[in-house]
Amino acid sequence: MTDSAILYDSSRCSACKGCQSACKCWNGLPSPLGKEAGGCTGSYQSPLELNGDTRLLISFNEKRNEKGGIEWAFARRSCMHCVNPACAAVCPSGTLHVDEASGMVAVSDEKCIGCQYCASACPFGVPHHYGPEPTVNKCTGCVDRIEQGRVPACVKTCQPGALNFGDRAEMLAIAHERVALLKSKGFDKAVVYGEDELDGLHVVSVAKYGLDAAGLPENPQVNDIVDWLGIMKPLTGIGAGAILAGLGLSFLTGVGYKRHTLHYDEVAHDVVDMDTGEVLQHIDVDIDVERKA
Amino acid sequence: MTNHWCDLQNADVFLTCGSNNVENHPISSKWVQKALDKGATWIVVDPRYTRSAACADIYCPIRAGTDIAFYGGMFNYIVKNGLMQKEYVANYTNASYLIDPDFSFDVNTGLFSGWDEGKKAYATTTWGYQTAEVVGPDTSATGAFSWTTADGVPEFTPPSNKVAKKDPTLEDPQCVFQVFKRHYERYDLDTVCSICGMDRETLELVYKTYCATGSPEKSGTIMYALGQTQHHYGTQNTRALTLVQLLLGNVGVAGGGVNALRGEPNVQGATDLAMLVYDFPGYMKWPTVQKYPSLRTWMETETASDGYYTNKPKFFISALKEWFGENATSENDFGYDWLPKIGSNTDLSIIPTFEHMDTGLIKGYWLWGQNPAHSAPNAKFARQAMSKLDWMVCVDITETETASFWKAPDLDPAAIGTEVYLLPAALIYEKFGTVVNSGRWLQWRNKAVEPFGQCKTDLEICDLLWKEIVGLYKAEGGANPDPILNMKWDYHIDGKIDARSVAMALNGYTTADKKLLGTFGDLKADGSTSCALWIYAGFYANNDAPLDPAQQRIGGRGTEDKGGLGLYQDWAYAWPLNRRIVYNRASADTEGRPWNANRMLVAWDGEKWDTNDVPDFVASTKAGDGTVTPVPPNNKAYFMNWEQNARLMVPSLDMPLPEHYEPFESPTENILNGRQNSPCIKFAEHKSVQRGSKEDYPIAVTTYTLVEHWQSGSQTRNTPVLVEAMPAQFVEISEELAEERGIKNGDRVRVFNNRGSAVLNAFVTCRLRPLAVNGKTVHQIGIPHHWGWAGSLSTGDLVNDLAPNVGDPNCFVPEYKAFLVDIEKV
Repeated sequence: MTDSAILYDSSRCSACKGCQSACKCWNGLPSPLGKEAGGCTGSYQSPLELNGDTRLLISFNEKRNEKGGIEWAFARRSCMHCVNPACAAVCPSGTLHVDEASGMVAVSDEKCIGCQYCASACPFGVPHHYGPEPTVNKCTGCVDRIEQGRVPACVKTCQPGALNFGDRAEMLAIAHERVALLKSKGFDKAVVYGEDELDGLHVVSVAKYGLDAAGLPENPQVNDIVDWLGIMKPLTGIGAGAILAGLGLSFLTGVGYKRHTLHYDEVAHDVVDMDTGEVLQHIDVDIDVERKA
Repeated sequence: MTNHWCDLQNADVFLTCGSNNVENHPISSKWVQKALDKGATWIVVDPRYTRSAACADIYCPIRAGTDIAFYGGMFNYIVKNGLMQKEYVANYTNASYLIDPDFSFDVNTGLFSGWDEGKKAYATTTWGYQTAEVVGPDTSATGAFSWTTADGVPEFTPPSNKVAKKDPTLEDPQCVFQVFKRHYERYDLDTVCSICGMDRETLELVYKTYCATGSPEKSGTIMYALGQTQHHYGTQNTRALTLVQLLLGNVGVAGGGVNALRGEPNVQGATDLAMLVYDFPGYMKWPTVQKYPSLRTWMETETASDGYYTNKPKFFISALKEWFGENATSENDFGYDWLPKIGSNTDLSIIPTFEHMDTGLIKGYWLWGQNPAHSAPNAKFARQAMSKLDWMVCVDITETETASFWKAPDLDPAAIGTEVYLLPAALIYEKFGTVVNSGRWLQWRNKAVEPFGQCKTDLEICDLLWKEIVGLYKAEGGANPDPILNMKWDYHIDGKIDARSVAMALNGYTTADKKLLGTFGDLKADGSTSCALWIYAGFYANNDAPLDPAQQRIGGRGTEDKGGLGLYQDWAYAWPLNRRIVYNRASADTEGRPWNANRMLVAWDGEKWDTNDVPDFVASTKAGDGTVTPVPPNNKAYFMNWEQNARLMVPSLDMPLPEHYEPFESPTENILNGRQNSPCIKFAEHKSVQRGSKEDYPIAVTTYTLVEHWQSGSQTRNTPVLVEAMPAQFVEISEELAEERGIKNGDRVRVFNNRGSAVLNAFVTCRLRPLAVNGKTVHQIGIPHHWGWAGSLSTGDLVNDLAPNVGDPNCFVPEYKAFLVDIEKV
């Protein structure tokens, strides 16, 4: 297996959102079509969160520091492609899996049964679901492009070279060199992210103004529940969902990565977003996992 | 750009001032980052902390419209601290030239000598050089004007060269350098800070960092755009930054230059092709009734007494041959009289155009890819004026605000009789042809898809129009038939209008056998050559494959980089003559030794010139028998000027030296001289301007564009992925102003002045902050101007309704970048 990685260097990023747009274009993801559908976000950041149609976005975080200078932190929010992905571990249908050739967490969305375990398991709140029968949507690492010897669409479009793609060890070396340079220039909070977090990520980041400003959770942890879900994986989605709800899932919430917590209503057989009360999916108990897959 | 995008990688220091290069020219970020990797430093000076500022090493705030104070302070700093590249300035500029002893500047009135209050104009006679000797034009066989005696060249008297008196020591009190030095003594650090609003420590850091490029081996580049130009003294802003570059020896070198960033709006192509009222294609003058009543007067006025523009009539006459073909002969002055002449009393630049509509002088309006109901300054007035038109034709890709001006929220459609036609145009990817980028690279673009529906290319629309008009003239006659019926229009291949034919016409060819010309050096003033745009000559010159752009220089895709400086000599074609860095003679000293051996563009090896770039000077001469003789180095580094030196001072334009004046609507008084605005400001007398006072409208505002959208948004506001990335209009205001006015992030606020009003979403941000200006607090806000009512996804109020319709006297650019408003919570 090749151990490759995407490198995002926020100190080179101009926040042009070329990657955000290229991701949508390459993957054929829709944007709202209604008049004034977007509304004012109160920020250069739009949309504010990843959603079923948005796999990558550039986040903006500004503040005036103690010296009176301005720290405008840009960050790239998308799948981190964990070396040991919790989402793939809990996925009962094989939808989310590690691409052997690249190490990226690839998506076979035709297999998705819509159980949304991945959404609750992910330490970064990345997977989102969409469609009439919601199926998972998240960054695929552009394995379709990588297979053809091309770099991911976001990397390809980046003008300042903030995004890079290659051997993970090489990306880490570049990141460390960059952080050393930034520190020598007085950016004391500059840090590499993705080397050891969660046994390593296939997205390595240089956070110019530190983790908080980039919305990256320090020392992210996979909740023990993932082990439980791993055991439960052969069972039906309903059973596992019930366990999820019963254990009252509450994973960490980062500044940037806002996750949604799901609840499985055992009586109505609905998957409910606990923040909004929205019924995300109704599960037909008569259809078993195998048939649906 | 004197240089080009890839060359940014060679800079030691960047100064982004009057542009937001990573947002509005994203490609720049690629090359800037390469330079930063090599240890370069990047300074951003901007009213707002932009995305460019976020990427830079040093950010310095500035009050919009005070660039000349900022640069004037830098001149003073350079001179006082001995940071000038003296050998460069003394030899390659007019620093040593002696100026008329009657030249003066009066600080109390803020006027240079020669002001005529009645005419509201300067007589520039006292701004010129003292003459050492007058040398008559050399028409001998080896002289600069030998060509004037050839058969078929219209008769005219070439100019004499008034050689200026000079003092090479730069000590004479009347030499340009001393005049310059005295003029900017007032621009000390504290005064500059007081006017511009930054703190002294930051200003000194900026000056110190940038002026270090005065060291001969160092290069500094200035990236500017509309932030610099859209002021009523925009030309002088640009001159000011040019002077900084000359003082520091940064023009003509790799990694240096005067770099106007041009992009998708095609300012580069528009200026090359003379989309300016007083210009003729190729940076020549359009004939006016008063100044150029005949070809002879044009030639006698416009031909330079020395330097390369001694050849200018060759370019102009070759262009006339292309306009009128066989009908242009030596006997009829090549059809000069058929060219429409600009009258002396009618100003038809963008701002007065609407005054003329308002008074009924202009009855019809044809718009090509332009959206002035949205983009004109005081756009509300522009729309009211449009409502008096009989007809309007818009050629565009969407129904713009102009195409639907009668639907504007402030107009009553029932009361408007204007007949509006919208012709659907093909998009850039639906047509093939020539494009030119900011670095003057001409590239061939292929068609990706067929035009949608009934959309047509601009060229096809032109062709249909030409055929219809000429057909009507032939059948029925009409006013002024000669120019129309004598015009040449043969740009067809296989019976269809074709951009390749146009490319050949732009490139130039011999009229006898239609052989494409490799250089404008082959153009003649006797009618034997035809060339629509002399500066492009050579870009499409392969006679072996005239129909295949891929085999022309414009289709060049070679990736070799001779010299390793990113010149990529075989990729596309940079006009003029594939020269990548213009004024490159100035990259070496008077002996021809490069200032920096690692950035060699040209070098004299003792016998001949070694070159990585195409020399921008006379590097050799060719005798009649074809013998080439190298020309040893001299000081003629700027041979497009008759002096063959660059000008620190100019005896023309609206000011001989850039002087600070306040924006037309300013939050403060001018403390550098006794005059508030430039005396040469245009259109301020128009009633429609409705000037606002700082008492009524205390907030300074600047307008700008975002990376997510483009211009009036007619394309981008109809593109879902871009609308999603920046879905709604906003105004950026400081936390301090928000606190003062009780505004919270996301609130709806009204921004208004005498001309208009716009309701916007408030972005409360720390990236803007109040400035201390002349002892008082000035609040500055910023508004992107992309939005309007037209479009199907994201709409908003028209911010250009607020901008004053006053302009610059040289190029008539409006003052979009600095004016006054007030703001209130809705």
